[in-house]
Amino acid sequence: MLEARNLAKTFNPQTANEVRALNGVDLAVEEGSWVVVVGTNGSGKSSLLNAIAGAFFVDGGTISLAGQDVTKSPEHERAKFIGRVFQNPFTGTAANMSIAENFALAARRGMRRGLAWALGSDLKQALRERVRRLNLGLEDRLGNTIGSLSGGQRQALTLLMATWVRPKLLLLDEHTAALDPKSADQVIRLTEDILSRDKLTTLMVTHSMQQAASLGDRLVMMHRGQIIHDLRGAEKRRARVDDLLARFEEVRRREQLDETAAEMLRRAYV
Amino acid sequence: MTLLIGALSLGLILSFLALGVLISFKILRFPDITADGSLPLGAAIAAVLLVQGVEPTLATAAAFCGGLIAGAITGVLHTRFKIHGLLAGILVMTALYSVNLDIMGRSNVPLISEVTLASYAERTGAAVLGHGNLNLWGWEVSIRDAFVFGGVLIAISVAGVCLYLFFRTNLGTAMRAAGENDQMIRALGVNVEHMITFGLAFSNGLIGLAGALLAQYQGFADIQMGIGMIVLGLASVIIGDALVGSGSLGLSVAGAVMGSVLFRLLVAIALRWGLDPNDLKLVTAVFVFLALVAPNFLSRLGKRPALGEASGIGAR
Repeated sequence: MLEARNLAKTFNPQTANEVRALNGVDLAVEEGSWVVVVGTNGSGKSSLLNAIAGAFFVDGGTISLAGQDVTKSPEHERAKFIGRVFQNPFTGTAANMSIAENFALAARRGMRRGLAWALGSDLKQALRERVRRLNLGLEDRLGNTIGSLSGGQRQALTLLMATWVRPKLLLLDEHTAALDPKSADQVIRLTEDILSRDKLTTLMVTHSMQQAASLGDRLVMMHRGQIIHDLRGAEKRRARVDDLLARFEEVRRREQLDETAAEMLRRAYV
Repeated sequence: MTLLIGALSLGLILSFLALGVLISFKILRFPDITADGSLPLGAAIAAVLLVQGVEPTLATAAAFCGGLIAGAITGVLHTRFKIHGLLAGILVMTALYSVNLDIMGRSNVPLISEVTLASYAERTGAAVLGHGNLNLWGWEVSIRDAFVFGGVLIAISVAGVCLYLFFRTNLGTAMRAAGENDQMIRALGVNVEHMITFGLAFSNGLIGLAGALLAQYQGFADIQMGIGMIVLGLASVIIGDALVGSGSLGLSVAGAVMGSVLFRLLVAIALRWGLDPNDLKLVTAVFVFLALVAPNFLSRLGKRPALGEASGIGAR
């Protein structure tokens, strides 16, 4: 479904702030699989998601979605294939527009937008039905502005919006990181419900080892713009929080070792 | 009474300007100051065509198209060439000054003896009620003024309703979302650059229309008539917000029209009280300044931290 080959991206090249965010990332995701991406801060996990979504163009490598090369397509064209939920609940919704209008926008993701009414009666009907299933009590408040809702509610609605038109690929960018633990739990449960029901191909970035261990059927660990571990099948099922932390620790120690070695060499020879 | 109905008619004509400013500043949140050039552009196009004997409705429609093009150029400068929104507006506005002079051929084109939409209204009035004055609840109003007022009232009502309905369509909601949260709407497959360009074109089309109507109403087009128009439009939108709140879309549209009319009434009263017409723009600017600052100031007085930009009108 998704084929990313040798992705490279450097931000602010040739300046003091140069950051090599992606450094040769290869990732192929099969249809229907749920890949969880973890990594330290600045490891490039969010950059990977943004590169796939088209928030920026990569310096090198290719991206193809559903057999179509989208490396050079702008973000709004890729939206035809991709549903997204952002880390910040404010990013995924238009706060001053009503819940129903936000869904009307999402219901035409990747389609032409003409002069037909945004809020048809079919859409309203379907919306009431599906929002009721969220059990947030929002089905009678569809006319309210989305800005009046809590972060958790907004994130739940964003998830529903992103999957309203079935996406070929769903990108979840730390979508519970900004929520309180209870809302985060609710949103994770909703994510599991939707993904298990619709069998959506998903790439999910998370900071939570708990989520990384318990969710998804494949786990990718990133460090310094590269994929350093790729656990699948039985290996992924066996992975526990402690194992993951141990792997991070290992990375950290290796790095420290590198630094100490470099320091020693410098002292000895420079 | 003539003063009152004159102020009302002028206020309604300038509501087209207010609607244009509503689209750029409030819906797209784009600080577009092309208006100072596109309003006289509309006036110039309409005036020159009218002098050549073109049908007034056609001349007015041509003015709308002229504004459309001016706005589209501002949009393209901003989206395609990545020029800051304010600067893009300034560039187009400055260029339009020369364009307007070229179109008119001189700095002022009188329309007193031409057939205009105003003379259509007068003729209709004469056909229905004859000449002379009309007695409205004890007030003497000339039939011409009454019919001009009625015509403009119908036109702005139609425009307002159409604008409101447009913003409820798929395209219109996408445009509103593009102004509010461009990242979200991009992720939903909308080309934000196109939305901004289209919105600015539409906004300046309405402003060009305001210019054409203004020229026909006052009987001349003048190269200077655009100065301060953007501030005037902003003042109308701000008054509209204060009158009806910015809660819903319909209220915002109605508010902009009401704000424009109320502002004209206030101006007429101030002039009547002896305000020097030369000070009008200074007073308007100070008024807009106060209206922009007051919400923050008041909330600070209430010992609460200001919640971002309270009025929703701010630079992008």
